[in-house]
Formats: sequence, structure tokens, C-alpha cells
Amino acid sequence: MEDTKYSAGSDDLTGRYLTFYIGEVIYSLPLGHVIEIINIQHITHIPGVPFYVKGIVNLRGKVVPVSDVRLKFGQQERPYDDKTCIIVTTINDMQVGLIVDSVAEVVTLDKSQMAAPPLAGKRMGESYLDSIATLNEKVILNIDCTKFFQADMAELFVHEN
Amino acid sequence: MSAIDPGMEALLETFVYESNTMLEQLDEILLDSERAQNISHENIDSIFRIMHTVKGSAAMMGFSAISSLGHAVEDVFFIIRETPDKLTKVFSDLFDLVFQSSDFLKREVERVTSPNYEEGDPSALAERLHHLSAVMKGQASLDSASAPAARAAEAGAPAVNAEELHKIRVFFEDDSQMENMRAFMLLTQLANCCDILESLPAHPEADSSLCADIIKNGFLIMCRPMDSLDDVIKIIENSLNIKSYEIIHDEENPSQAAESSDIAEAKGESGDAKAGAAAAAGGGKLAAAGSKQSLISVNQSKLDMLMDLVGEIVTAESMVASNPDLKGLKLDNFTKSVRELRKLTDELQDVVMSIRMVPLTGTFQKMNRIVRDMTKKLDKKVELVTYGGETEVDKTINDTIADPFMHMIRNAIDHAIESPEERLALGKPETGTITLNARNAGGEILIDVSDDGRGLNTEKLLAKARNNGLLTKPESEYTDKEIFQLIMLPGFSTNAEVTEYSGRGVGMDVVRKNIEKVGGSISIHSVKNEGTTFTIKIPLTLAIVDGMNISVGDTVFTLPITSIKQSFNITDSNQVLHNTDGAEMILIRGECYPIIRLHDHFNIPSERTDVMQGIMIQVESGNSIACLFADELLGEYQVVVKPFPTFFNKYNLKGHGLSGCSILGDGSISLILDVGNLMNQS
Repeated sequence: MEDTKYSAGSDDLTGRYLTFYIGEVIYSLPLGHVIEIINIQHITHIPGVPFYVKGIVNLRGKVVPVSDVRLKFGQQERPYDDKTCIIVTTINDMQVGLIVDSVAEVVTLDKSQMAAPPLAGKRMGESYLDSIATLNEKVILNIDCTKFFQADMAELFVHEN
Repeated sequence: MSAIDPGMEALLETFVYESNTMLEQLDEILLDSERAQNISHENIDSIFRIMHTVKGSAAMMGFSAISSLGHAVEDVFFIIRETPDKLTKVFSDLFDLVFQSSDFLKREVERVTSPNYEEGDPSALAERLHHLSAVMKGQASLDSASAPAARAAEAGAPAVNAEELHKIRVFFEDDSQMENMRAFMLLTQLANCCDILESLPAHPEADSSLCADIIKNGFLIMCRPMDSLDDVIKIIENSLNIKSYEIIHDEENPSQAAESSDIAEAKGESGDAKAGAAAAAGGGKLAAAGSKQSLISVNQSKLDMLMDLVGEIVTAESMVASNPDLKGLKLDNFTKSVRELRKLTDELQDVVMSIRMVPLTGTFQKMNRIVRDMTKKLDKKVELVTYGGETEVDKTINDTIADPFMHMIRNAIDHAIESPEERLALGKPETGTITLNARNAGGEILIDVSDDGRGLNTEKLLAKARNNGLLTKPESEYTDKEIFQLIMLPGFSTNAEVTEYSGRGVGMDVVRKNIEKVGGSISIHSVKNEGTTFTIKIPLTLAIVDGMNISVGDTVFTLPITSIKQSFNITDSNQVLHNTDGAEMILIRGECYPIIRLHDHFNIPSERTDVMQGIMIQVESGNSIACLFADELLGEYQVVVKPFPTFFNKYNLKGHGLSGCSILGDGSISLILDVGNLMNQS
């Protein structure tokens, strides 16, 4: 369902996901949305933004906003360590960095391995899920990038029109 | 129109640029003339020359719609030039028609660059122009829509004495190509020194098929030099690609002279350079041989690239100069070199900036046209007065503000200026005035758009905002100023009906957005029945500011130098006074100013909360002055302004007093403060 959002030439990336940890839980992002992974670096705080938007970083001369996924999922803040990473993602030509506890690996997931998230019993965080997959007896929660950034994007479109 | 030959693309660009410039000039002349209710001889010549050039270069590019309409307009002005007294007969018709033609041409010129360009049909306009020429000539020639013959007969009358004409036959070098355009350029150059100038073929530029003829028979020039034939010969000798020329002494049939009488006699001194330039554009790669050209047109994307590069250099320079590796080292020679480098980058930056600066005149001039069209349509009398058109702004800014201006002026004419009767009843002059006033104020440009119309009606605005659910506090708490600001909210439009010109749902909020896009702001002042003034404040340039870096906690802010008045330490905590609501103020030389604590305002944890420990910076914006409290001054830097990522659009950072961010020499990011908004917020 995300295919149309992928940039050109990303065909070989379909079905490939980048997995990362928030606490003990494994989440994943479609690889087509991922640009690069950088170490945590100095973040300039921006006033007047939601608590999970930590600020901006300088990515080789480009100013990129960063969000803390942990906080966005409503979990406890935890001090950054040398495993903490920023996954720089792109959605609708906008680059956003996501702060995660640590990055795991790139996996290939097949549709048959995925199950839809339950509709009932919504808890914060679950609403961003695209599907739940099982790989090597580990559960991977696939994040739907569009849903994930919806709150940030909605207003953006209003501004552009 | 078939696709443009790839080799022609560069030519096409020049054509579009030149034609646009010329057509704008045409509009300007027409507006002036219409106001004066008369066309001066000089202006007729200019119009004639403009149409001639546009026509010529369009013909060369193969745009027959443009060239045929251009030709029709040219015909009309040819008659006017020969017999100015006939002008009165058709004055207002003429102007409407020529304005329409100019619009048509502009549209066409705009469209030619699009890949699937289809020529528009100018025949209706051309028909009317022909009719107009016919009317001017008297009904005898009413049916002579194909004017040249009839006109030639009439124009031939200013009897050219055949004996006085020198005949010169010019041959161009083999393979020089575009012989017709070369011939045309030669004519243009010769026009400077001849008072009668004719040629065979008469319109070499109009038809590229004439090339063959020119190659075979040569290009025959008939002229009467102002001074001596030598001048003419000299020009011919100095022209490019001319193989040979011969002066013909035998008498030729004088009727031939009459046949070719509508050559541009570009003899106005002022226009010479322009004619030269236009010819150069037409000839593409040919340099204007006649007059020395010291202007070149450059693609804007190249300038943008240059600007970006300079930005990088400035950053790189401070990276080198304040490199952490150098800390604590005593490096006299290095410091000297760095200073030299700094001086050069400063200069480089100034030059690049100045390249990008364009005067506002062009934008202002366009507004004249809007005023004219709208007043005609709406039956109102409005005059546009402009001041400070020579004020220069960055090209990008200039381009961005044209639309907002247009919108504001449309609004003013449509809504604000009353009908003439209403105005007289109110004791105002019958003609309304819209004033555009631009001026420099420090690092900013202030532009007022004011009208003397009915002013904003606060009750109506409030009621409207209430209906649209835009009010955020009790109505009684709104000050006039806040009410005026309401009209710039999205979804606010005071006019119930949609008119052709305004009230299409896009309103002042679009204006505001456009202006904010270039880092500007807009404020409104209005007095009932006296008028409304919109004051637009835009930065001089977008890219680089001189700033003072200050720290608050671990955040670095950049304060534009232009907004700083002074900085000082507080030595006695009694200097700080408290307003009744607890707000802090400070008394400096008998004046009281509010204190804005940056750490409080931006919610940044800082250890220096005692006013004695930090530093006070007195800043000003517009008429307001305040003191900012920060931890310490870090020093003066040039910073390259980067807009916040679009991600932050929804959070209105601008409203919080932040205008952008900048990457510092050490790779960290500073936030650039917008003093005006900061003070409004606190």
C-alpha cells in the first residue's frame, strides 16, 4: 500500500524493512523511507513545539528536524547513549530524523508473515502500526510512515494550499 | 508552431527577455501618454521602435502571431507619426486597442517557452487595428486592410528627393547566415547617422526567406546621411560579416524609394542604445557592434548558485577562523591572513548581493496598469502615486512581493475607494489616491500601500470574524490593531459577493503568507473615512545577516546587528522595576523599557536567572524598544540564514520571534531572533 510513496528506483527496496529497538520492542520502517542512519549528535532545541520534537540537527549543512520516537509512543524518556541513533527518513520530500534506542538490522518481510494490527483496544503508539510481523520467532511492529507523520503533515498541507 | 530548434533555445530566452522588457516599456509609455492625453513625438517614435523590434525578432523566431500583430500596431503608429493630428480622432479607442494588443503579445511571449506552444490568434485584434488605421486615413481607404500599399502611397508623400539618396549595395560574407537579420542590424546602426534610410528588401527582418535574395542580389541601402556619406561608409566597414559593398551612382527609379518607406527611422537619440541592444537580441550571438554594451543578462539560477556558494564560503571561513584546534595558540600571521580573508569574503558577498538587487520601479510600474484597467471597469477615479521606486531589493523578494501588491491594490480600488459621487458627498477629492511608498530603514525595506478610501470598519470586521468563528477572546478585549489583523487570518473575506477582481476567497492571508515567505511582516493602520495603510516590512536580502551571537542556557541565538542598540550589564538590581502585573522593566536614561528574559520566553533552562549575572541587550524594531536578557554575548558573526524545515510550518515559529536558523562555524545551529515578533509576543 505504500508503494506509490516510494521514490523512483526503489523497486528493490519493497518488502525490505529497517528494524530498530525502542526498549525491548522491535519496530520497523519501510526501507524506502530511510535515507541514512547517523549517531546521536547535538540537537538544537526549538521552543514552542510538541515535547517529542526534540529540535534540529545539522546534517552536512542541511537543517533536519528530529523527533524522539520513544516520546512519540508515549514512553518514558531515557538518556541518550552511544547506541542511540537518528534514522533520517524522507516522506513527501521532507526529511525528518527519528531518534531510536538502537538500530538492529535490515530484514525482508513477506506479506504472508504480516498480520493486521487489532482494531480494538487502541493504545497510544499502536495507531501508527501498519502490520505486525513475525520473523525468527521475534515480533516486529511495522510502522506506517504516513500515519506516523500524519499529525505533522496535516497542517503542512493546509499551509501549502 | 513546430517545436523550437534546440539551437534556438538560447535565442528564445533572449527573445522572451527582450520582448518582455520592451512590452513593459510600451505599457509605461502608453500609461504616461494616456494620462497626458497626448503622445509626444518622442514617445511615438519609441512605441514604433518597440513594436518594430518585437515584430522583427518574433518573425525571426518564426512566431507569426506575434509578428503579425506587432506589424499591425506598428502600422497604426506609423500613421500617427506621419500625421499626428489624426490621433485625436481615435484617441481612447487607440489606447484600449493597443493595451489589449500589448496584453496579447505578453501572453504569447510568456507562452512561447512552453513545449507545446500553440500560437494564439491575433486576427481579431489585428483586424481592429487595421480598421483603426483606415479610419485615421479617412474612409477612402477603409477597405484597405492590407495597409502597406495604401500607407506607402500616403507615406511616400514626404517626397524623398531621389537625387539626394546615396545607394549602397552590401554583400554579406558567404555562410554568415541570417543575412536578413544582419541587414536589419545594419539598418538599425545606420539609422543613427541618416535622416532618411530605406532599403531593398524593405523589411529584411520580417521574412527569413529573404536571405536567399540578399545573398544573391546584395542588400540595397538608400540613405541620406546627416553629415557625410563617410560616416555611413565607416559603419558599413565596421560591421561584422560584410564581404563587400559598392556605392551605386546611377539613378534608379524613385518609385522604389516610396515602396519601401516604412523602415524604422530610429533617430531618437535616447533610443539608440536600446535599438542596438534589441538588434543584438534578434541577432543572437552577434554582439551589438554599434553601441558598446556593458550589460549582460544572466540566468537567475546561476545567481542563486553563486549566492549559495558565497554562503558556504562564509561558513567555511568562520569554520577555519574559529577552529577549535587553534584554541589557545598565539598565531599572529594566521590572524592577519584570516583578517584578509574575511575582508575579501565580505567584499565578495557585497558584490554578489548587489548583483541580485533590483529597483522596485518595475513592480510599481506594473501596478499602474492594474489601476488603469480596474478604474475603467469599476468606473472609479483612482490615481496611483509612487515614491521610492529606486529602492533596491533582492530579486527573489521583488518577484515574491509583486503578487501581494497587486492583491492589495485591487482590494483598495474595489473595496476601499468610494465611487466619485460618494467621495464628493464626503467632501473628498473626486479622484482617490493610492500611494506606494518604499524606503530604506536600516537592514529593512518599508513599503506603505495606502489609500484614502473609507477605511476599515471595525464593527463589520468583528461581526465577520464572529460569524466565521475566528475570534479567540471576548470582542470587547480586541484593540483596533488586533481587529485589523483579523483580515489576514485564513478564511476571512469581508466582501460577501465575489467580484472579478477581489473576493475570491483568497484574501489577505495569502498576501501575508507571501510576504512572510521572504521573511517580511505586514501591519495595518486604518482610520475610518480617511483611509488604510498597509506597511510591509521586508528584509533587504534573504541570505546573510550580520549577527551577534548570544547564549541562553545551551542554546545559541543570533540577533541581527541592525536591531541592536546597545548592550550593558546591570550592576544594581534596583534598576529593575516591576509593573503592577509583575512584568519587569528597566529605567535607562529616564526612559522605561520592558525586559524580555529569553530563558523564560523560550523556556530554556539556564543557570543565570539573576539579572546581575547575565547581559542586557537593548533592541529596537520599528518604534518599539525592549531589553533582552541573555546569559552572555558570544561575539559578532556573519551567518547564512536558513529557513526552518517545512516540518515546523504548523508551529508558527515566526510568531514566537524566530525567523530562521543558521549553521555556525563549529557545526552547531543557532536560532535567529526576530526582534519585532519577539516584542509583540511578550
